[in-house]
Amino acid sequence: MTDDLQSYTIDPEREPDEREDIRDLLAKCGLDYETGVEAFVVFRRKQRLMACAGLEKNIVKCAAIDPELRGEALGLKLLTEVSHLAYERGHSHLFLYTKPDCVEFFRACGFYLLAEVPGLVALMENTPIGMKTYCDGLKRLRRPGAVIGAIVMNANPFTRGHRYLVERAAAACDCLHVFVVAEDVSLIKYRDRYALVAEGIADIPRVMLHHGSEYMVSRATFSAYFLKEKGLVENCCTAIDLLIFRNHIGPALGITHRFVGTEPFCRTTFKYNADMRHWLRDDVSPAPAIEVVEIERTQSEDVAISASEVRRLLAADDFNRIRRLVPAATLELLETKYRVPRSSAA
Amino acid sequence: MKIVREALAGTLESSDLMVRIAPRDGELAIVLQSEVVHQFGAQIEAVARDCLARLGITEALVVIEDKGALDCVVAARVQTAVSRAVDEWTADWSALS
Repeated sequence: MTDDLQSYTIDPEREPDEREDIRDLLAKCGLDYETGVEAFVVFRRKQRLMACAGLEKNIVKCAAIDPELRGEALGLKLLTEVSHLAYERGHSHLFLYTKPDCVEFFRACGFYLLAEVPGLVALMENTPIGMKTYCDGLKRLRRPGAVIGAIVMNANPFTRGHRYLVERAAAACDCLHVFVVAEDVSLIKYRDRYALVAEGIADIPRVMLHHGSEYMVSRATFSAYFLKEKGLVENCCTAIDLLIFRNHIGPALGITHRFVGTEPFCRTTFKYNADMRHWLRDDVSPAPAIEVVEIERTQSEDVAISASEVRRLLAADDFNRIRRLVPAATLELLETKYRVPRSSAA
Repeated sequence: MKIVREALAGTLESSDLMVRIAPRDGELAIVLQSEVVHQFGAQIEAVARDCLARLGITEALVVIEDKGALDCVVAARVQTAVSRAVDEWTADWSALS
């Protein structure tokens, strides 16, 4: 480079001085320092921190340029470095959260808008054809009918409650599309979750099972969902995930109704269900409204069946009670693969 | 040669381009984004296609984010992306210019 601009990568866990500088720059730009960033690209000139951008797996976070130093196309250099860093770390498909007024800026850096909550937040991806390719795939699975339903489930793990929800929903639909959340950060591995759902609903007519994708309830679209197991539930952002569903996935499959179970235990899921009505049905998008149908959970001995309850019982090694909440296949899997070793049992 | 993994080459800076290449079955798809797409889009795509043909690449997804690169730069970035996306480089460099 012709000037004395330096760029390098840092690990914020190991370099507290760099981290503090980054925190200051972000504050100057009205951004929070987000935990979970595994690596930062930083640009310095004569010791001064000019720009930074962080990566949490395939999500670009905390991207900022000193407001006094804008106008010299630093952003293009910054996003180039981040793209190469992400690629070296094994991520080619990147997502980026930003403020809506920065969408144009990141558009020039090769990012494309997926969804925007006016005045609050926008999600972008680094390919012009990512969402389109995904939706083209879905369109081939479109089925005719007046009532086309959808359920997105994590099934962590699959319970009798999931089975009941699918049965009830399928009875009300010409075709019901069931998606299993594909992000592999839940207690039960995705392969196991998907296999149990497939087995558990195989005999229900008019149901089509799908693998989830990065575009629905993923770390990219809805990162807070996956924090719930760590007890970090806050006022999470559900709008982006729901808008992507309404604007892209719903129209691709012609979905008219989305079904959910009532949520008595998990606050994140409870909020997600409540937000769903607003973002899928109200006049907040040019895409057709999707009706939200909440189905009362089935009960076992007066306690609503919920996967979070099963996980709680699993942690307590209470298989007698788990047995009443899950089908045989789930019980067998939990006993053989996910049983918590009891150090105190001896 | 066969594209076996995703690869990246180039930058987003002015007069350059960023090329992403990925495996794809049955077709060679090129997606081009450029600020000068109306004047030079067809030319950029032709250079990329010619370059890929010389390398014997018939199946791939190529996404180009162009920032006004000259033809020789387009070819160089495409070649580099391919070299990173194949298991074994069998093309003759001297036949590429």
